Amino acid sequence: MSSPALTSQKAGLVRCETCGLLSKPFRPNIPGYCPRCGYRLFFRRHKTIQYTWALIIAAAICYIPANVLPVLTRMTITYTKEDTIIDGILALYLEGSWHLALIVLIASIIIPIAKLVALAYLLCIVQFRSRGANIDRMRLYRLTDFVGRWSMLDVFVVTFAVALVQLQPFLTAKPAPGVLFFAAVVVLTMLAAKTFDPRLIWDIDTTREDGNDR
Amino acid sequence: MEMTDNNDFSQIPQATPEPRKRIMFSVVWIIPILAAVVALGIAIDRFLSEGPTITIVFKTAEGVEAGKTFIKYKDVNIGQVTKVKLSKDYHKVVITAKIDKSAEGLLVDDAKFWVVQPRVTLSGVSGISTLLSGNYIGFEAGKGSTLRNDFQGLDIPPAVMETEPGRQFILQAPTLGSLGIGSPLYYRQLNVGRVVAYDLSKDGKSVMIRVFVNKPYDSYVTEETRFWQSSGLDVSLGANGLTVKTQSVLSLLIGGIAFEVPPFVKEDRPAEANAIYNLYADKATAMAQEDGVIVNYVLYFDESVHGLVPSAPVTLHGLSIGEVTAVGLEYSEANADTRPRVDIALYPERFLKRAQLSLHTTDQIRNRNACNTFLRRLVSRGLRAQLRSGNLLLGQRFITFEFFPKSAPIHVDWSHETPTLPVTASGLVDLEAKVNTILVKMEKIPYTEIGEELKLALKYMNETVKKLGEDILPEAKQTMTDLRRAIAAAEKILQSGEQNLVGTDAPAQQELREALREIARAARAVSVFTEYLEQNPSALIRGKIPKNP
Repeated sequence: MSSPALTSQKAGLVRCETCGLLSKPFRPNIPGYCPRCGYRLFFRRHKTIQYTWALIIAAAICYIPANVLPVLTRMTITYTKEDTIIDGILALYLEGSWHLALIVLIASIIIPIAKLVALAYLLCIVQFRSRGANIDRMRLYRLTDFVGRWSMLDVFVVTFAVALVQLQPFLTAKPAPGVLFFAAVVVLTMLAAKTFDPRLIWDIDTTREDGNDR
Repeated sequence: MEMTDNNDFSQIPQATPEPRKRIMFSVVWIIPILAAVVALGIAIDRFLSEGPTITIVFKTAEGVEAGKTFIKYKDVNIGQVTKVKLSKDYHKVVITAKIDKSAEGLLVDDAKFWVVQPRVTLSGVSGISTLLSGNYIGFEAGKGSTLRNDFQGLDIPPAVMETEPGRQFILQAPTLGSLGIGSPLYYRQLNVGRVVAYDLSKDGKSVMIRVFVNKPYDSYVTEETRFWQSSGLDVSLGANGLTVKTQSVLSLLIGGIAFEVPPFVKEDRPAEANAIYNLYADKATAMAQEDGVIVNYVLYFDESVHGLVPSAPVTLHGLSIGEVTAVGLEYSEANADTRPRVDIALYPERFLKRAQLSLHTTDQIRNRNACNTFLRRLVSRGLRAQLRSGNLLLGQRFITFEFFPKSAPIHVDWSHETPTLPVTASGLVDLEAKVNTILVKMEKIPYTEIGEELKLALKYMNETVKKLGEDILPEAKQTMTDLRRAIAAAEKILQSGEQNLVGTDAPAQQELREALREIARAARAVSVFTEYLEQNPSALIRGKIPKNP
């Protein structure tokens, strides 16, 4: 919609990602190092699309056991019960605290999957150079990046539960394998969001003939 | 958009000496591959460790909850109930449970499941742990080999675990009495086992009680062992005073069974499992020597057998040698008459052993012919069956064999299966005996002495009479004249009072007549009353019923 903005790459310049200094590349093809902070310069992040895809797929794979496997094992004298995240949400809902159930549902189920979908969407539009509202896409990316750290809620809950609920022999809690996968999902999506180079969104509007390596 | 730069050919790419690199797969792909491998690994592990899912059908799901109730074998969790629902016909409960992979091999054909609940019975308390842990499903592995997934749950825990050492025996009794599952079994007052099951026999005529004897004690159950109900008290009053016997306070409350080998048993072998025994009502019956051989005879009486019932004893010289098995009438076509027929069973072992006949070996004794031979000899010497009164108050009668040497010889058909033994009428014999005793007593009367004494007495009387005539008579004459005079005086008084007392209009006479009339009226009232009573006897209780027009 808006006319393509001039990018640094287009202008034959490279911007340091660390200190933000705009400098001329060492050679037209080789960006070289930042003259101010000495960090390695990239026209665009190294193989960003491939990296992001890999991390997203890994996260998607981990998402399944994270929800299927129990995250917490409760042991009382009389019985042992393993709870998955869904079980916890259901238990909260059935006890009447639907708001808490909603919070956990959003934080643990919806946000991870939304992150995955959002990143996959961004990667697709970058790969297929589908033109559109780049500002909105940029907002989506920022949101994804911002929200990432808050998805660790469940992991924190399990950690606290295990640490605090140790009333042996009456009640004990132990982490179950699901929580590991859950943490992996969160970490992988955060990394995926970090690896994704948002500058690519702006590249969509420019012509194909740019010599960056993806 | 066209590039509008100044250089014309600078943008024409230069050929490269090597083919352009294909898109290289970055190392980063290791991460999703690793994730996939781990996730897949866990999935496969889960799938492989997944035990079988079974269904158990129970009558009720009391205390069974999905996700909370475990299945335990030897107190080890081997599974968990995952679903509880009604059967399709709503009559039962189908419980779905997931069994651990490790316990898969236990799910054989005859595996047993039951709900373990706290149970408090007189014979003990079980399942106390379930008060804390909630009910669980007990499991007992079977001996079968074919695996299966659907089971029928037991209503009550199996009384005996397969693994419990010991053996089972079966007792046959006419009634169950106060026994129940868990009733103790005693051997020399030691609790050595318990009743584990009972059921009616197939024909419904007796109760089959299954008992379990614990391991070291089961060897004391031998082929000759006798079992008896030891429930309750055994109170006996003897020369030693009052004796109270009981197995234990527990058996006093809930009954029990005791067993022992009778002391007279010489040879004995350990019994095999599931052997069947009789359960006797008490120890005395149980320990009584059994009569191995029974020989049946028939007696025909020509008199009333009132008071004679089956099981009445048959005695010889006052010792019981058999019993009455049946009493009934028999109609004989020949003389168109009915007469009482009494079937008796004799136990030749009882009297042949004691009679010390020349029957040496047991085989001979256990022979009907031997008994017949023995009886034939006795009959020829005058042995006759006879009805006797056992108890004059209750009118019970029994049969006794007595010798009547003077009775006419009688023919007995010994070849018959149940020979008819000769009888003697009891009434005549009784009378004869009585007359006999009277005669004997009369014989013993000392007539001569009585005569002497009588003579003395007469002499004494003579003297007394003589004295009477001399001393007392004159005085008596005097008294008589006095009396006559008194009577004459009385006559005179009566005559003078006749006018007052006896005349027709005399007041006494009138009063007397009035009284008589009163009495007649009363008598009439009584007769009316009795008539009424005869018609309405209930009036005695309810009073006169008012007549409604």
